[in-house]
Amino acid sequence: MQRRLANINIWTVAAIAIIAALFLPNMTIVTGLFTPSNENWEHMKEFVLWSFVKNSLILVVATAVSTIFIGLSLAWLIAQYQFPFRKFLKWALILPLSIPPFIGAYTYHGIFNYTGVIQSTLRGLFNMELNPVYFDIMNLPGAIFIYTVFLYPYVYTITQVFLSQQSASLIESTRLLGKGPWRTFFQVVVPISRISIIAGASLVILEVLNDYGVVKYYGIQTFTTAIFQSWFGLGDIETSIKLAASLMGFVIIILLIEKILRGRRQYSYSSTKVRPLPLIRLTGWKAFAAAGYGFAILALGFFIPIIQLIDWTILTFGTIPLDEFISYIKNSVFVAGISAATIIVFSLIVGNFARLVHGRIAKLLPKLTVLGYSIPGAVIAVAVVTAFVALDNFLAPLYQLVGTKSTLVLSVSLILLVTAYIIRFFAIGYSSIETGYDKIGTDFQDASRLLGAGLTRTFFKVDMPMMKGAIISGFILVFIDVLKEIPLTLILRPFNFDTLSTKAFQYASDEKIMEASQASLLIVGISALAIMVFYKFLEKELD
Amino acid sequence: MKKSLYLILALLLLVLAACGNDDAAEQKEETDGNEVNLYTARHYDVDDELYKKFEEETGIKVNLIKGDADELLERIKREGDATEADLFLTADAGRLYRAKEDDLLQSVTSDLLDEQIPENYRDTDQMWYGLTKRARVIVYNQDTVSPEELSTYDALTEDQWNGRVLIRSSENIYNQSLLASFIEIDGEEKAKEWAAGLVNNFARDPEGGDRDQAKAIAAGVGDVAIMNSYYFGQMLNSEDAAEVEVAEGLGLYFPNQETTGTHVNVSGAGVVKTAKNKENAIKLLEFLSAPEAQGTFAEANYEYPVNSAVEPSELLKSWGEFKEQDIPLSSLGDNNAKSILIFNEVGWK
Repeated sequence: MQRRLANINIWTVAAIAIIAALFLPNMTIVTGLFTPSNENWEHMKEFVLWSFVKNSLILVVATAVSTIFIGLSLAWLIAQYQFPFRKFLKWALILPLSIPPFIGAYTYHGIFNYTGVIQSTLRGLFNMELNPVYFDIMNLPGAIFIYTVFLYPYVYTITQVFLSQQSASLIESTRLLGKGPWRTFFQVVVPISRISIIAGASLVILEVLNDYGVVKYYGIQTFTTAIFQSWFGLGDIETSIKLAASLMGFVIIILLIEKILRGRRQYSYSSTKVRPLPLIRLTGWKAFAAAGYGFAILALGFFIPIIQLIDWTILTFGTIPLDEFISYIKNSVFVAGISAATIIVFSLIVGNFARLVHGRIAKLLPKLTVLGYSIPGAVIAVAVVTAFVALDNFLAPLYQLVGTKSTLVLSVSLILLVTAYIIRFFAIGYSSIETGYDKIGTDFQDASRLLGAGLTRTFFKVDMPMMKGAIISGFILVFIDVLKEIPLTLILRPFNFDTLSTKAFQYASDEKIMEASQASLLIVGISALAIMVFYKFLEKELD
Repeated sequence: MKKSLYLILALLLLVLAACGNDDAAEQKEETDGNEVNLYTARHYDVDDELYKKFEEETGIKVNLIKGDADELLERIKREGDATEADLFLTADAGRLYRAKEDDLLQSVTSDLLDEQIPENYRDTDQMWYGLTKRARVIVYNQDTVSPEELSTYDALTEDQWNGRVLIRSSENIYNQSLLASFIEIDGEEKAKEWAAGLVNNFARDPEGGDRDQAKAIAAGVGDVAIMNSYYFGQMLNSEDAAEVEVAEGLGLYFPNQETTGTHVNVSGAGVVKTAKNKENAIKLLEFLSAPEAQGTFAEANYEYPVNSAVEPSELLKSWGEFKEQDIPLSSLGDNNAKSILIFNEVGWK
């Protein structure tokens, strides 16, 4: 009993308040599960639902497998071997994350289509007219390709950091025991990096389930299509919420699987400064192959689309006044920075709560906040608007007291948009912070408490310094994600508020991909800069 | 250790800054009474230029929220009576109909609007007004198809077109409105037959946008495509020489000239029921339907003007005059859900 009481402190209260605030707007969706089905639902079930679900499953499974393959193999190469350009590749391999998949999808289609550079060159220079079917990427395999080359960094980053720092001694022992590289890889590396692989892959899966831009343009009907179709096409919000709720159920299952796979194991170490793994030097063709593999992936996920975007930018340069871009950049960086910062602060509080408070509920509660990531952006948008309009109506007397004419204050402000980002992307920041807490464990904390320091003091003096890496990586990941985000920004922004991504999306959706290239390049540029800063920090941290 | 404390402090400051940033709303208060709040689903640069011109001429500030039509509608609905929206503008009559059905618009009377916009492009209750027209036409490969072979949308379901027809996905509103117009004219059964027949003649599963259908003709994937007229104009005037070449190899055909007329949709706008700047919203409508703005729509975006006093641009004229479908535009919205169900049933992806 005494122990229970001791648990109730400012941290607990703050954490539970945050979890509730993030979860409440989503309640509208949860309730959708229990509404009776109507004829639209029956129609969907009869004609299209199965093929939508099938497409989604194929996309998710294939993308997960291929991102794990690419992400893990690259992480292993970088963590274990020395070869030319390794240092450059180590951070550059994160760069594909800076390209929003829908921009990537448009760009690759631009390259491969009939008027694109490949077919034009074949026709112009070699007079070759090949069957266009060979160049068609607007189909399931094409979409899997797009998701893979732009999303694999989620698996790569998390696994690479883990392998480079945490597993050194284990891998070294295997080497000493005389196991070859393949056996080491499959018998040691894969099993011990299971958690980071699953963490990375589940981010990829959620990202794919939520995407609408790529599949819409490529004409692939997925579960998200069904949600949009029933809501906007049939004007039937109940069916669409029912679908969104089923999707949420699916995500909960994924999260549970993650939990089960992780089991009771806790992977923490007694020291935060683990000796890095001594690198094995590759020579000859092996060195060449390793560098070549890294560059090939980087070319697909970064250089090729960038070159195409630059080419289009040159073609259309001057069509959009340059000074407009300055305000788009300011707006984009502002909302992304604020959202990322808030998410990290909240994650630290919730993560600390989950770590310190024992019991199943305390462990499960924080998982609820991840649900925002499973719901399509447009659905979150409406949930958030509903909540804010209610809040505004509640506060209306207060507004009148201050003398504001309108009754809608919060719901037409940036606060609405930023709140929605926080609900949507909390999972990204939180998983980074959670991994960080897992890594440092509670030994240092216990020591500090034993020596008489309070919870809060311990948090700032002991935990925080060790969490710097996790904080920075979480911040940058959220920052980039907000920069790329589309449906929420489109629906929830205040008047006259444009960001780089809304600008890029508007041109792209009007089939003006060439004009979209300028804003797209700026998104990529800013994200790439953020990744570089992130890397510099991380390097210092590990030295 | 100190550093991390600073980091936390900096983060908290950022959060506080965010809270202080609702002064955007406050700024708006100051211009109250001399502004108009527009929710628009059109995001063309030419529209922005027109708003700027309107601001210069009238001193009325145009505040914009751009987005997808359905999502904007949903937002207005959720904001309820307190919504800031004065005018709702979209590129499809079906969505205007839906806004009216959902009781989001109000009736507006203006002699100038009545004069500038013909009756068939207005809502019967003056709830919304059409501003530009776009025709859904057939484009064809000039080498493999002669215009004599073409006649109606219906004829594209005949055997001779098997494996030769290109069109984008049924998720697209332009296709939904096209089928909705057939439901209005021929009834549900015949419309379903048409959709099934067209699916049967598809050259490939629908993918990409309207421009992609034109390119697929050039690539030899199919011979005819259904697309919106203004995309064809945009391709002819593209910065990309290859795209211009594609468009130049195509012919443009207005179907159903001997029968029910070519399918036409409009961009249009309606004043929101709870508009706080109703007068300004009407002024903006009047401005957008006046000859100058109408000319700009035609020149820069290759859309047909609704104002009959305005000549279409040279390019539009070169395509010739055509007979339009003569149905109430509200039927496009009325039949929208039905057309989606039909698309699902016949397997039009």
